[in-house]
Amino acid sequence: MENDDHGLLELLKHDHTKGQAFQTLVKTYQERLYWHIRKIVLNHDDADDVLQNTFMKVWRNLDKFREESSLYTWLYRIATNESITFVNSVKKRSLIPMNDTTEFLLQNMISDEFFEGDEIQVRLQEAILKLPEKQRIVFNMKYFDDMKYEDMSEILETSVGALKASFHHAVKKIEDHLKNRD
Amino acid sequence: MDTEMKDLEKIAPELSKLKNENPFRVPEGYFDDFAARLQSKIEAEQVVVPSKKSTIIRYLKPAIGLAAGFALIFSLAYWPLKSLTPKQVAKNNTIEMDINDMLFASAVEAIDVNSFYELLEKPANAEQLSDDDVAAYVKNNVSEYEIYSATNGN
Repeated sequence: MENDDHGLLELLKHDHTKGQAFQTLVKTYQERLYWHIRKIVLNHDDADDVLQNTFMKVWRNLDKFREESSLYTWLYRIATNESITFVNSVKKRSLIPMNDTTEFLLQNMISDEFFEGDEIQVRLQEAILKLPEKQRIVFNMKYFDDMKYEDMSEILETSVGALKASFHHAVKKIEDHLKNRD
Repeated sequence: MDTEMKDLEKIAPELSKLKNENPFRVPEGYFDDFAARLQSKIEAEQVVVPSKKSTIIRYLKPAIGLAAGFALIFSLAYWPLKSLTPKQVAKNNTIEMDINDMLFASAVEAIDVNSFYELLEKPANAEQLSDDDVAAYVKNNVSEYEIYSATNGN
């Protein structure tokens, strides 16, 4: 992947190959980034908007990418920031307290025709939604995508130790939520 | 797999019972046409790239609007307030005298009190002017043009 990205980055630097190389980049990363975003924003239409915004930002800032991190890390970082910005904008727009925001996002997910989870899946998503923002992202990346802590550390710019602690706290809180189902 | 995921059963038995399967779906063919949709959006954005000039004006617009607002408020509030300041009130209440008033005042001041009363008590027709005196005065002090203007003006 790193070698492929290196070749792609070379093509992205030249005007006559940039367009085609960007198409390749989108096709390579669209699915992984979509699922990363979807688990944060939950609704398909919102995830589609955020994914488009993510790639638009990548396109506009290609010249600024200094290759200090890998392309994969850079893309995930932009996708994460765009997702957080979206969730915060929902909170600001609705002007509702934190608990109600959780409820709003949960109902938004349940009413989405592209959500097929059963009752226990809804309960799990509810528990995840109640987590603080950072713990929520760490839990999703580890539990659903089984991402390495080293990769997460680069994307989230957080130490491996802090990420492990965040995941541990998140698991404990979710377990409590699932146990107290009545 | 990291140790944390392996140990999940021990620290979170309820959570580990769940299959970590994805409950989310996407519309059919979503990933097949995403790149094309994105490309259209990028092309549309490139067509409507604003010029540098209009961008500068766009950034300056709020500042210009603010400055104009301040100028309006200043002109509406400053002048009425200025007329109420003690200095201005004093200035407004000062009787402005023109040069003729000042000459008249100095002439009156120059007359001593006795002469002034004498002047008042003297009958108005004490010194009758003859027709010749009037004609001589008019000849010396008024031009023909002034006489013509005065008679035709009425």
